Amino acid sequence: MRNARALPWFVPLILVVGLLYVYPVLDVVRLSFTNAGLLHPGYQYTLRSYVDMLRTGDLGQTLWITIVFVFFSVVFQLLLGFFISLAIIAGEQLKLRGTVVVRTAVLAAWAMPGVMIGIIWRMLMDESPSGILNFLLSKVGIGHVAFLSSPSVALVSVIVANIWRGTAFSMIMQYAGLKTIPDELYEAAKVDGATSWRRLVHITVPMMAPLLMVNLILITISTFNTFDMIMALTGGGPGRATEVMALSIYDRIFHTYELGGGAAMAVVLLVINLLMAWVYMRMSRRTEGMTTS
Amino acid sequence: MRQRRIAATIGLYAVYVVLLVVFLFPLYWVFATSLKTIPELFHSPPVLWPKVPQGQNYNHVLVYTPVVTYLKNSAILVFFTVVGTLVVSIPAAFGFSRFRMRFSRQAMLGVLMCQMISPLVIVIPLYNYLNRVHLLNSYFAVILVYIAIQVPPTVWFLKGFLDTIPVSMEEAAWLDGCNRLQSLVRIILPVSVPAIASATVLIVIESWSQFIVPFILLNSDRLYPVSVGLINLQSTSDVISTHYLAAASILAVLPVVVIFVVLQKFIVSALTAGSVKG
Repeated sequence: MRNARALPWFVPLILVVGLLYVYPVLDVVRLSFTNAGLLHPGYQYTLRSYVDMLRTGDLGQTLWITIVFVFFSVVFQLLLGFFISLAIIAGEQLKLRGTVVVRTAVLAAWAMPGVMIGIIWRMLMDESPSGILNFLLSKVGIGHVAFLSSPSVALVSVIVANIWRGTAFSMIMQYAGLKTIPDELYEAAKVDGATSWRRLVHITVPMMAPLLMVNLILITISTFNTFDMIMALTGGGPGRATEVMALSIYDRIFHTYELGGGAAMAVVLLVINLLMAWVYMRMSRRTEGMTTS
Repeated sequence: MRQRRIAATIGLYAVYVVLLVVFLFPLYWVFATSLKTIPELFHSPPVLWPKVPQGQNYNHVLVYTPVVTYLKNSAILVFFTVVGTLVVSIPAAFGFSRFRMRFSRQAMLGVLMCQMISPLVIVIPLYNYLNRVHLLNSYFAVILVYIAIQVPPTVWFLKGFLDTIPVSMEEAAWLDGCNRLQSLVRIILPVSVPAIASATVLIVIESWSQFIVPFILLNSDRLYPVSVGLINLQSTSDVISTHYLAAASILAVLPVVVIFVVLQKFIVSALTAGSVKG
């Protein structure tokens, strides 16, 4: 009865979620069990895509590249975000000028489209004699770096660009978190003679731990889904050295026209998404009051 | 004590300078590149600032590339996405906030679940379907997907805000004979303007950046938004036209950068709201 009265408010939401989430997700799972091609309509149900993905090692290779990419991106975004937010809060407490300018500069990288980030870093990582990053590195005695043409270096380059792009989100979340720690805690610790290092380890870090976990999960999910930035920076290359899951799915469907094979890889990504979402819900229940952003 | 304060100030400013260089130099480099001549592009060592800034590079880009079309397309997509997202999200957020229902929490978690799903996963079957019924290149379909991507975070954000508005404000209106819809429009919406503004700014920035959806569902240069247009320019341009690509990139992000700097206050509050117990 009560639910029926509330229903009209949810009609648009139910339509959007049903049509654009529930239906496509079920359909992608169905397609993953077929040998459908993009160009011809007929197909049969088969487990072939999953078997091939495992047998050829495609899944293993793509997962490995993706996990390396996600792990290093996320660790550095979290640490740098924490460090920068501490530096800005410390500046605000000392009433320094320029804290807003610094905050804005960091956040600007977040507001840019991912494609733009890829284009910017491709210009910076130009490997010709007029490339600026190689020129700057040569000034500090580092020889020529093949940023985007060497398979092993390219993955590092992509990670660096992604850290540059994503640090702002962690910074702003933690900046808001740091502001909620009551000053009295620090005052009391000061009275007890705690050094600033001990205050950081015994007050700031434990108080921030739940938020840091939520932050970690959110950026892990979004990094797993990265597509546009890598597309513009390396296109997944050289070879397949920087081909993360999303690029691999795209490549399977739109370059080799294996709709079923791409859908199978997409289901793996979907499972990862849902696992992370589940962890996130468990975490945010424990730290009630934290939701999403 | 005073000496420690001075040391801390110097240390912090050193950190700030490093941060500003790291985060602004890449943008500066693109801007400087957009004003170079062709010989300056290839000069070794690299040219930090062109001798005579070539403003006409921008003219060239405006006349000979479809960048203005891209900008217009992005504006259309973003506008309808904002309107559609709010039309779907406001009633739902209001419902979640005001009605005691069974499975309300589960439904909110379901919405959150949608937010975690990669847009690529939902675009694949939609592409397949639209392709079969010959509806690729349809802005209607693209805007629907844009809206679907923005709805989950917007519902969560607005619900969190509406929870902070006491029901007693509405009760007065009910006594005057208003129904729920009227009290939403007359009482709740006016006090929700700052929250709706924050949500709008986030929707604008994220939809402006949206890439994978138009990249897959559109395949005509006339229809591309800036993100897809830029990738297209990048793949068709060669080293000799890097300065044009840089100029096009600057034009493509100018609108979001302006919105971002002017409305930064709303962005910070939208990004941090709900993530922390206030």
